[in-house]
Amino acid sequence: MERHHNSVTKTPLDRVQRRSKSKSYRQSLRSCLGATCLTPALTTRRLNISRRAPKSHNITKVNPEQLALMVKTEWQLSYVTPLYQFRHTQLKSYSRQLSAFIAAEKQQGLAVEVEGSHGSFRVSFSVVQGMSEAADDAETVLIQIHLKRLFSRQDEPAKVVWSGLLTCINGSPDYLRSLPKDFTCLPLLCSSGAEGLTSAVKSWFQQTFDCYFGQLEISHTSLQWMIALWTNCQTESAIQFLKMIWTLPVVPPLKVTYTVNGQDAWELWSSVRKDPQKEGNGEDEDENSIDIEEVMRFMQGLKSHFYRHFRLDLSAGKLDQVSTALGSAKCSGMIKISNSKYMISTLTLLTECALLKMPI
Amino acid sequence: MGDSTKSLLQRIIRRIPSRAIESTLRKWGRLTAEQLQSIDFTQPKWTVTQELLDMCEEGNWTLKFITELEMSYIIDNPNQGMWYAYQLMNPEDDANSVELTQFKEQFKSHLKQLVRHISLKMKKHTDEAVWIRIAWGDRFFQPNHMKPTYAVHYLQTPYVFVTSLTSKHKPLFSQAMTLSTRYQAIKDANLSGRNLTAIRDLLMRQFQQAFPTKHPSPLAERNQTVSHPRIEKEQDGNAANRLELACEAFGGGTLPQLQSAVYKLETKFRDQTNKAMTEREESFKCIVKFASTNLLESLRHCASSGFASTPVTPLLSSISLKGKNYFVITDNSPGAASQPRRAQDK
Repeated sequence: MERHHNSVTKTPLDRVQRRSKSKSYRQSLRSCLGATCLTPALTTRRLNISRRAPKSHNITKVNPEQLALMVKTEWQLSYVTPLYQFRHTQLKSYSRQLSAFIAAEKQQGLAVEVEGSHGSFRVSFSVVQGMSEAADDAETVLIQIHLKRLFSRQDEPAKVVWSGLLTCINGSPDYLRSLPKDFTCLPLLCSSGAEGLTSAVKSWFQQTFDCYFGQLEISHTSLQWMIALWTNCQTESAIQFLKMIWTLPVVPPLKVTYTVNGQDAWELWSSVRKDPQKEGNGEDEDENSIDIEEVMRFMQGLKSHFYRHFRLDLSAGKLDQVSTALGSAKCSGMIKISNSKYMISTLTLLTECALLKMPI
Repeated sequence: MGDSTKSLLQRIIRRIPSRAIESTLRKWGRLTAEQLQSIDFTQPKWTVTQELLDMCEEGNWTLKFITELEMSYIIDNPNQGMWYAYQLMNPEDDANSVELTQFKEQFKSHLKQLVRHISLKMKKHTDEAVWIRIAWGDRFFQPNHMKPTYAVHYLQTPYVFVTSLTSKHKPLFSQAMTLSTRYQAIKDANLSGRNLTAIRDLLMRQFQQAFPTKHPSPLAERNQTVSHPRIEKEQDGNAANRLELACEAFGGGTLPQLQSAVYKLETKFRDQTNKAMTEREESFKCIVKFASTNLLESLRHCASSGFASTPVTPLLSSISLKGKNYFVITDNSPGAASQPRRAQDK
């Protein structure tokens, strides 16, 4: 699991996390649960060192309204542990329960910074069909909270003030199959809206399905994967630019925004790809897969060009944000997917991050 | 006329923070002692504004008074908005002897010839700076006092700093400025920032500069942290070296407060390990922006703590040495370490 090729891969955050997960969590879990079915899954969970290049999926099966919502919003990410006795057939009942819960919270003085919060909240749960292709993935659930203001007209539609997406796209099949029967795994929560409503929704889920939410930061390695995966799409959909924002820990902190022309980034990327002819008889699988080494070489190329001019090593800083015309990702766990064609691939990467970050 | 005067007054008061209103009004000097006494400045700003509007109505204050108030506030608080530096080029023979009255008359007459309706105010401040306020109008409209341009010119220097100048008015301003200062052209100095004092200090080199010396003893005196004579810190020599080179590149002591520097790079990609890219004909286009609350401090800290290799690359040290913060770098630009202190162009 350790890749000691460059100093670049040795980001402390990653390392510490991974180690604790593999040793102490496993041990404590074994003693707590005594469930042997979970341990095989843990040992096989690793961040992929090789991925399939994102094919543009023409998502025709998804309801265009729902898709439009997913594309124009910037989502905050959290991971969710498996939900106990969550039924996709009972969504209407869940909507009612959550509406009642939020109304009760409001009575108790929940601070919701929504303009005109004098009104009634109505929650709707719906299934987003057509997202996941894998058989083991549970169907994606879209949650929306509408606010109907007190003195609004009858025909005025209620405004959506909060949206959430519970999803699992191409989750590790070994892990999913190893879960006990009553558990549904939807490890990724994408939320957008007031913080008060987010915590209310999370509390209700925790009470009802005995699960746990945690903040999902996008690690340095995952951000680098995003850079590579997005740049790889240049031939199909122009990325226009590749913008990276680094923060250097000096006093006062220095923010470096490094924006590369899209076409130039693509040429650099294709120059670091391994020659497919050398891999053997061009299997479709090999051509489409991207190795972590190629990603590292790409990043090294970008950094060395920067170093040649400024003699400033970007590895000393922290990569905060990555964006292209296809979307943007921030290390604090915010993601925006601007092009629906790459929704599936990006969510696959994020599902993997969520599964890895989960404590069980 | 009264309405626009009142709305201008309202806008100006809104812009001034509550704690500064009393001192600004006092400095303005148009209110009598009784009037100043009668206003209770602890009230909310809205109430104070109302009282001033009433006084404006009673006293029949003209637009001239109100613009005076605005100008006096801006002169005392110049570090807001975005300031751009310009440099005058190719002086005529008598450029160095242009003095205040001549400059003022010439500027006024040139600008009035170019623009039919214009409201111009010029004031000399204590430190050789001439402040100019221009409210632009045109053939059909009266001067718009809501969006005035402010400019500062330091007499006998080729520098002009301007804020809120639209691209429509820029050629008119440039022409009037060059003619009245007896230069032939004006160009963008590629320096901008929110802090007028900072960009002025940087361009006119009014900050503490460290020059390369053979014996680095002055710095050694500064770093007197010897705790015990028998304790020797291994890295002290290197650290002192880095600090000295950092100060040479960016300046010593307190540095002018710049917010950002932008480099537009159009150079070829060169890397020994990557043949395909090195052989490429086209340049690798990218834009790098450095931003910080005090950019020069951050860069100096980068150099002194080792994030940036020393000696500092001329690209970064040009910010202080040339007084610029926008650069276009091509393969032909001079990247040599030795640069004359004040390069004439670019």
